[in-house]
Amino acid sequence: MNESVFAFMDEDAKKEIRRTLLKAVAIPGYTVPFASREMPVARGWGTGGLQITLSLLLKRDCIKVIDQGCDGSVNAVNIRDFIASVSGVKQTFSTREATIIQTRHRIPEHKLAEGQILVFQVPYPEVLTTVEPDTEKQKQMHADSDYSKLWVLLYEDTSQFGDSRISNRYPVEVEDHYVMDPSPIPKYDIPRLNNSPALLLFGAGREKRIYAIPPYTKVEPLKFSDRPFKVETFAGKRCGRCGADNVFLDEVRQGTTSLYFCSDTEYCDSILTEQGDVTGNTESE
Amino acid sequence: MLLEIQNLSKVYGVSCGECLDLTGVADDSCICPVCDSVVAMNRVSLSLDGKEVLGIVGESGSGKSTLLQLIYQDQCPDNGRIFYNGFCDRHGVPLNIFEASVSECSVLRNKEMSMIYQNPRMGLNYLFSAGGNIAEKIIGAGERSYEVVRNRVIELMGRLELPTSRVDNYPDTFSGGQQQRIQIAKALSSSPKLLLLDEPTTGLDLSVQAKLLDLIKELQKEMGFAMIIVSHDLGVINHLTDVTMVMKHGCLVEYGLTDQILEDPQQPYTQLLVSSIL
Repeated sequence: MNESVFAFMDEDAKKEIRRTLLKAVAIPGYTVPFASREMPVARGWGTGGLQITLSLLLKRDCIKVIDQGCDGSVNAVNIRDFIASVSGVKQTFSTREATIIQTRHRIPEHKLAEGQILVFQVPYPEVLTTVEPDTEKQKQMHADSDYSKLWVLLYEDTSQFGDSRISNRYPVEVEDHYVMDPSPIPKYDIPRLNNSPALLLFGAGREKRIYAIPPYTKVEPLKFSDRPFKVETFAGKRCGRCGADNVFLDEVRQGTTSLYFCSDTEYCDSILTEQGDVTGNTESE
Repeated sequence: MLLEIQNLSKVYGVSCGECLDLTGVADDSCICPVCDSVVAMNRVSLSLDGKEVLGIVGESGSGKSTLLQLIYQDQCPDNGRIFYNGFCDRHGVPLNIFEASVSECSVLRNKEMSMIYQNPRMGLNYLFSAGGNIAEKIIGAGERSYEVVRNRVIELMGRLELPTSRVDNYPDTFSGGQQQRIQIAKALSSSPKLLLLDEPTTGLDLSVQAKLLDLIKELQKEMGFAMIIVSHDLGVINHLTDVTMVMKHGCLVEYGLTDQILEDPQQPYTQLLVSSIL
């Protein structure tokens, strides 16, 4: 009686999620409803991603969980510990070693490989909510591939501010049909969704939606043909810890000065290891 | 032939099956005596040439607006077919627009046809700027270059005598007549071949009405689109249209050249309608 189920959820629940995932993979970018069970964390705290991860886990898997690129933040640690405790799978910080990576708001800096699965935690899965609150109309617009209302937002931002004002959750078009919300990843990560060798899965537990981008799928941000898609740049700045200058940096304010560090902590550590400095001493400030 | 309407019927309510025969001009009612359904459209057939301007007149509830909404696919008919020039299936066979899929019809709605509603609130999105509203239709028709969209928006606003400096202002900061002109600019932005106008000038000041009608007429001559205008104002019909159809109780009462209908009406109802103008 005391024996617990592998990976927390019962097999029927996992089967339902896997069926939903199959449908999501078959129709790239289309949001598929699912039951969204109760989890031991509150909805809105990564339950969508957690349910996908748990439904996919095998004994041989190796799990990594990041929150804004960081393996060590409270939420990431708790979710990873929970997954490991209910399934006994190996946990890791290493992007290369992990078979399933659950993430909140970032894509790891190390290139993902075939066979890896990246699971996104999604707060708002419906990209059309900002322009069309009616769910029935949203569905019709998706079916017609009618995204002119999203384009009008882009047009208005461009005419008033010179460029789109969206900093994260930038709408992307998948395989020339569905436009979807890529979860709140920065614009920097948007081009990295395109043609990804890894399977990308998106789970919104509170909103009860799952969607997917299968490997090697065309993913493009919504943009005018005569306007470039601009991502965050960190020209002249480098990580204060490992010195990397080709990554997404977090700004840390100290009084009047700003320090910059890799948002992906594991990437930062791996650079330091290559340099032979495992202690991770910061440069003199 | 730009538009071919065959035997179009629309009943509001659950039909008993005999509604169409039990209602009409002869019965002087559009409400079925058996099942109380309302017959909004009773076996109407009609065809329209490219560049032709058709007026629809009739009393309130005669089915004028329903006909426009059926053509614009805002509603589905119970019976009948509509063919549009060049709208074919994969094998080149003309396709009834009510049998086409939604995505096939979106070409018609976004590019080939435009609707101008009596109330600009129906045709405009008040959460978007004036320019944004016009841009929506241009983008919907497939344009993806910002410069092209922006220039076309400004050009259209100028053409409709709207202050181009206010392109990024919201519609409710414009006057009623200006809002109607924004709606017309939006409708014309995709260079449609058929413009549907549902009482476009009702509710506007008389002087504004006259200016707007002149503008519509001028644009029609210049751009060469066909129009269907619904109005209960025979002055508007006389001013704008080549042919006129008179409707009552969902039926087509009389059809002919506008001059002929207004000068020499044949049907008793048309005679009453024409003689009742002050």
